[in-house]
Amino acid sequence: MDRRTFLSYNAFAAAVPLSGAGLAAVSDAAAAAVSGPPIDFKSNLPATGSFPDKWICGSPSAMDNTDPPVQVHWYNQHTAILRQNKAYSYEAPFAPLYFGNERILLLDEGFCQWRNDWDLRAVVDKCIADWCARNGKDPARMELLVAFSHLHADHYAATNQFADRPNTRYMGISQEEMIGFWGMTNFPEERVTLDLGGRDILIWGSPGHVMSEFAFYDTYTQILFTGDMFYRGRCYISFWQPWFDSMKRLIDFVDTHPVTHVMGCHVEISKDNVDYAYGMNYQPDEAPVQMTVQQLREAFEMAKTITEPGIYFTGTVFLCNQTRGTTTIDRNPYRYS
Amino acid sequence: MPQVPSYNPTLSGNPMSATGRAYPNGNPEAGYNPVGVRNTDSAVPLHPKGPVIHNYASEDPAPGNLAFRWTYGSNVAAKNRDPRVQVVQYNEDTFVMRQNVCSHWEAPFTYLLFGNKGALLIDTGATAEPNYYPLRETVDAIITRIGQARGRSKIPLTVVLTSGEDIAQNQGLMQFAGRPDTTFAPRPLAAMKDFYGLAASWPSGTGKIDLGDRVIDVIPTPGTHKDGVSFYDPYCDFLFTGDLLFPGKINISSDKDFVTSLERLKAFTAANSVKWVLGGHIEMMFVPGKYYARFITYKPYERVLEMDPALIDEAITYGREVQGKDMMLIRPDFVLFNGVSPDQRTPVWPEGVPNINAPRPF
Repeated sequence: MDRRTFLSYNAFAAAVPLSGAGLAAVSDAAAAAVSGPPIDFKSNLPATGSFPDKWICGSPSAMDNTDPPVQVHWYNQHTAILRQNKAYSYEAPFAPLYFGNERILLLDEGFCQWRNDWDLRAVVDKCIADWCARNGKDPARMELLVAFSHLHADHYAATNQFADRPNTRYMGISQEEMIGFWGMTNFPEERVTLDLGGRDILIWGSPGHVMSEFAFYDTYTQILFTGDMFYRGRCYISFWQPWFDSMKRLIDFVDTHPVTHVMGCHVEISKDNVDYAYGMNYQPDEAPVQMTVQQLREAFEMAKTITEPGIYFTGTVFLCNQTRGTTTIDRNPYRYS
Repeated sequence: MPQVPSYNPTLSGNPMSATGRAYPNGNPEAGYNPVGVRNTDSAVPLHPKGPVIHNYASEDPAPGNLAFRWTYGSNVAAKNRDPRVQVVQYNEDTFVMRQNVCSHWEAPFTYLLFGNKGALLIDTGATAEPNYYPLRETVDAIITRIGQARGRSKIPLTVVLTSGEDIAQNQGLMQFAGRPDTTFAPRPLAAMKDFYGLAASWPSGTGKIDLGDRVIDVIPTPGTHKDGVSFYDPYCDFLFTGDLLFPGKINISSDKDFVTSLERLKAFTAANSVKWVLGGHIEMMFVPGKYYARFITYKPYERVLEMDPALIDEAITYGREVQGKDMMLIRPDFVLFNGVSPDQRTPVWPEGVPNINAPRPF
């Protein structure tokens, strides 16, 4: 699909009242042709899965790191989570890969741009090939959606690696294109359903870290993916009120939907709640990426009391309210008087 | 209006010009036999009967140059294949070594100086593990080679630190444990003062380290570390200031000591000829006032290492300005952080300094 068709396609999708239906309708023909028995994503929920005890987390000397550029962890057999190696970029974001009967959703990428720096596209293709082999699907007929939670380079920079990939659609890097990609007309309140072929992903707006950010809920694993607006580390809140409203939206959501894990894009904190400063590329004792609903609620309770810019620790995350440009947690350790 | 064409070495595009050498192919005006030649190994007999003795006495700074670009890491740190220790020989008796940025982001500089009786290693880098950062192996190789060239079987080594407590400069020290013919400046402050003979006169006195006709001065310079010292080499006319004064983010640990130490350096500079001030790191970019954040492992737009001694005056002026205040202050060649986080940022831009953004490498 070229860019012109893509844009006009989204205009069409937005006109269809129930979002998500538009996405499904277009590829009905393709769906029929996908072989293999359909996978049931709707019963025995939530689908069980597991996170690793320890992720690849860099090394004391980055140039001596021998880990792969990206760790692929299969949460369960239809869900992979990718995590960039800290020695390839200190941002080391997490990127889930959700498989459905007809299409695959890649959420976020990693801080990399060129395939010869490290080849995210090949890793994703390998995951898709493996999954298709296990499930009797034809990889060429599976549609790949390359999307990202928000417009920061550690989440979208690798998009161009997918530019010439067949049967692939990727988000544009503007707020209009992002919102249009999901067929939303009422960002951020509107919640749309993306149908991956029997597997629904709920998507709604979650601004605050930046204005164009989304939250994603996978109905199969019931993982709530909160991007960079809430993750185990320093949540840089650029815009407080939109962020607070987004938190309220998340709380309303977890009140009404079962959620197994809350997962953000990064980890920047140790198991003992020691901050790993911005830019560090070795986190030997890092905290798990997954958080509980309770931890989200605690953060929201704390957020209710915050009226001033500053850094607030909720017990799980640092809420950096409008501080990014001026303060961090570290001090000069050699200070004396 | 007539325009006078003038040769500007910094704009010439010639990489060697960045070091101030306006004549990369030799200055025809300078004559064939500059003063420095009498100090070189090429001026001694081919088959010397005894150890080669160098003459370290010279009016002017000994010639030499740093006309080689420092390794600056890579976009993907894990794929960096640069040398772990980059060795640049400034002249026959002076070596500058840099740790690879991708083995440690601090990428410290260490200096190895030779005299007629011994060698001096100033600072030891940020990594203890010799497989990652083979400092001792590198130093041993250089010393062996110099020993062979000058007909000396033993060259005693003295290892000193610009600050014993600075983990960006003391980690490599462990690699030298058990090395024969090696003396270490002790790390505890009191023992260190004794070692330099400064027990009674700290911080106003100066100590000496004699390398054999090349006597290095030791100047107490607390301020960024309470055990900070600077070293002066009267042969190359270098002042090694560690992280008291370097082209980067200077984290002041005691603003009073910082200014006092710089004033001491200024007085020293007035009494002794100083060609360059050489610090322990580079964090500034080659555009004025811009610097790399902590932990960055790719610094393609680094400023050069060497600083003009006039920058001591500038550091004093602006050190006084931040004194007693929790603030950071940007200058073209360094940034001062006093009482604030090392990640502090400021919207204040120094007046009269062009605000240029270096291109983003990514």
